Amino acid sequence: MRIGVLLAAVALAASACAVQGGSSDKGAAASGYPNKPVEFTVPTDPGGSTDLLTRALAKSIEEPLGAKAVVVNKPGANGKIAGKDVFGSKPDGYRIAVMPQSLFAIGPLMLDDADPVKLTDMTFIKGLAVEDYVLVVPADSKYKTLKDLVSASDVKYGTTGPGTGSQLSQTLLFGLGKTNAAPVPFDGGAPTVTAVLGGKVDAASVQIAEGFKQVQAGKMRALAVFSDKRLEAMPEVPTAKESGYDVVVDQRRFVAGPAGLPAEVRDKLAAAIDKAIASPEYNEILKANYIGRWDANGDQVGAQLNESLKRFETLAKDLGIDLKAQQQ
Amino acid sequence: MDFLSPVIAGFGVVFQPENLFYCLLGVTLGMLIGVLPGLGPAATIAVLLPITYNIEPTAAIIMLAGIFYGAQYGGTITSVLLRLPGEASSVVTAIDGHALARQGRAGSALGIAAIGSFIGGTVAIIGLTFVAPLVAGFALDFGPSEYTALALLGILLITTLGTGSPLKSILMATVGLLLATIGQDPLEGVSRLTFGVDQLLDGIDFVIVAMGLFGVGEILYNLESLRKPAEPAAAVGSVYPSRAELRESKGAITRGSVLGFLLGILPGGGATMSSMVAYAVEKRASKQPEKFGKGAIQGVAGPETANNAAATSSFIPLLTLGIPANATMAIMFGALLIQGITPGPALVAEKPDLFWGVVNSMYVGNLLLLAMSMPLIGVFVRILRVRQAILAPLTILVTMIGVYTVRMSVFDMFIMVGLGVVGYLMKKAGFEPGPLVLAFVLGGLLESSFRRSMRIFGGDVTGFLTQPITATLLAVIVLIVVVPPVLRLSKRKRQRQEENVAA
Repeated sequence: MRIGVLLAAVALAASACAVQGGSSDKGAAASGYPNKPVEFTVPTDPGGSTDLLTRALAKSIEEPLGAKAVVVNKPGANGKIAGKDVFGSKPDGYRIAVMPQSLFAIGPLMLDDADPVKLTDMTFIKGLAVEDYVLVVPADSKYKTLKDLVSASDVKYGTTGPGTGSQLSQTLLFGLGKTNAAPVPFDGGAPTVTAVLGGKVDAASVQIAEGFKQVQAGKMRALAVFSDKRLEAMPEVPTAKESGYDVVVDQRRFVAGPAGLPAEVRDKLAAAIDKAIASPEYNEILKANYIGRWDANGDQVGAQLNESLKRFETLAKDLGIDLKAQQQ
Repeated sequence: MDFLSPVIAGFGVVFQPENLFYCLLGVTLGMLIGVLPGLGPAATIAVLLPITYNIEPTAAIIMLAGIFYGAQYGGTITSVLLRLPGEASSVVTAIDGHALARQGRAGSALGIAAIGSFIGGTVAIIGLTFVAPLVAGFALDFGPSEYTALALLGILLITTLGTGSPLKSILMATVGLLLATIGQDPLEGVSRLTFGVDQLLDGIDFVIVAMGLFGVGEILYNLESLRKPAEPAAAVGSVYPSRAELRESKGAITRGSVLGFLLGILPGGGATMSSMVAYAVEKRASKQPEKFGKGAIQGVAGPETANNAAATSSFIPLLTLGIPANATMAIMFGALLIQGITPGPALVAEKPDLFWGVVNSMYVGNLLLLAMSMPLIGVFVRILRVRQAILAPLTILVTMIGVYTVRMSVFDMFIMVGLGVVGYLMKKAGFEPGPLVLAFVLGGLLESSFRRSMRIFGGDVTGFLTQPITATLLAVIVLIVVVPPVLRLSKRKRQRQEENVAA
């Protein structure tokens, strides 16, 4: 009996030590961060532009960060699967994710979700990239300008999927123009471009990288870009704004960790990312994919997401468009 | 013959020692990952992409292409030996291939598959060389309405896949279609049958369904026989197909090459569709259709030839139009972009060295694969001699790892085990997994294409008949699927009437 008590006491003491050891370890971790590999989660399948971007980032960040960087793909539900997984983990800086703006600024307007990833679930670390949308029609289309298309009597437009910037930009555009237009959502950029090339839809909004070469080769015509200013990649194409339709929609990508990430860990990561995105490899990928840089610190990322969501919401409300009903 | 000079110059590119080395490396890697279920060429190429930054572009693409078509060779091996189709395009191979393996003819099945793959691949490269620009436009003519008709044709052909009653096949196909609706609605993003589980939002991955129903189901079923005295291990038989088997497969390989080449050009599921259509065609062309499902060599030769031909011809839309035809091609697109090359209509003229270097490397790669796989068949086939008590848990382990690699999800592993139990019960009750799995693959395509078409036609179903290709395909469906049973029925009715009159 006595031996039992003794044993229990020893065990208790040992576990107390262990706990203490653990906590002192944790204290060391914050200052000694990082002391093991950092995992970058990508919310898409391998091979897409976000994946390539993250892999280039991971490769260039190892030196400034002083730790190995591992890329993990967790595709699904427009990024929600990856978001729920990473932002539900311990905020220690060893698991971070590259997230798309659309999940927070467009998804909630167009899709019903009782349990979304919220802005408050994240600590924003750094802005990465901004990708713009271009409105294209087949080369032999009778629509020569944006006005022609918007004033047409019956338009079938392709989108790259529900809850995307492609869908939102066109819903707003045709809503402003009071056009009788119906969306035909495809699964991603490539099938959407194929449908335009084959003349199966009248028009489509796609990301620059998805449509650029076909426009250059004269197989498609670009009628407008949905950016604030004209783009370097296609300077001759007017913005929708210039043509009288104030629709500015883009896709942005940023790095975030779970809420409650210690400030020094966040700063260390942000500084390392800063160095990594200056590397030639990273910039090659940006250039090849016609992706713009988004130089924003963590706070600016949060502000941008809030601002985009509000802007889209107000625009839709002013137009009297129910974005959810628009999809039916 | 002016246009041939860059083609010949392309051979010069291939035979540079560096390029030959990367070709060998690519096909070897491809074959290995093909053997591992789950880990497909798309994921492998993506993971290897960063390594290719520092390799010269032509060599890099030669290697990545080698991984892709090499995987088609390797995928057959698990399909035949363990009934574990690692990819949608080798599901039908599992049906007759595994039956052959049980009869001790695994060597023949694998040998024929390798030879068929070689011929199919080579025919497709020749096609790619001479008619690529001509047939490329074919891919653009296929829009939502054409895919609707094509998917419908595929699903209706499923009834010919089963060996049991057509009624059971149709029932299983219906379950497959239902499973395909799980996840976010493809057009509106509304969740369906997800029961609030986020992991189900994108539906169930094909690999999980195929490996659960085919692989795990089969293993569980085999475990029953463990308690009985062990059957004498199936004799492995000759590793090489006999002359008679080669003669039997000649027609199947020819038809498979042509079918695979044409259907492979279509974006989205070309390889899968071609292997299925090839199987159905062989069954119809055969004088003994009753042998299918019980070990018909043509049931391996046709689909395996077709899926390799399709894998090769799927490069056509990528290299000539800049349109990736499937997930692997999409990653190849990314790989080219990294190297500063944008695939598109101008590629052949701008970079003839790269274009013809890559195309011609496929001849060499296919030869290497044939040379490697023939001697290796003997090694692989020995797997069948391993006792079930050891092989079964090992197979499950490999399958589990494979499923996990699809999207790093433990949830998917549970789903697969669940489907494995369903597969076991189905087998006990005499239902076949083939129609279910294939309906599952085509269900998504059918639904989304049909609904896209209806939006394009403004809700008017007769719109389908205004599209020439769609209308032709629909006519084919009526001719080969609907007419024969109706004729048979009316014949039976007439017989019955005659009997009545006689009585």
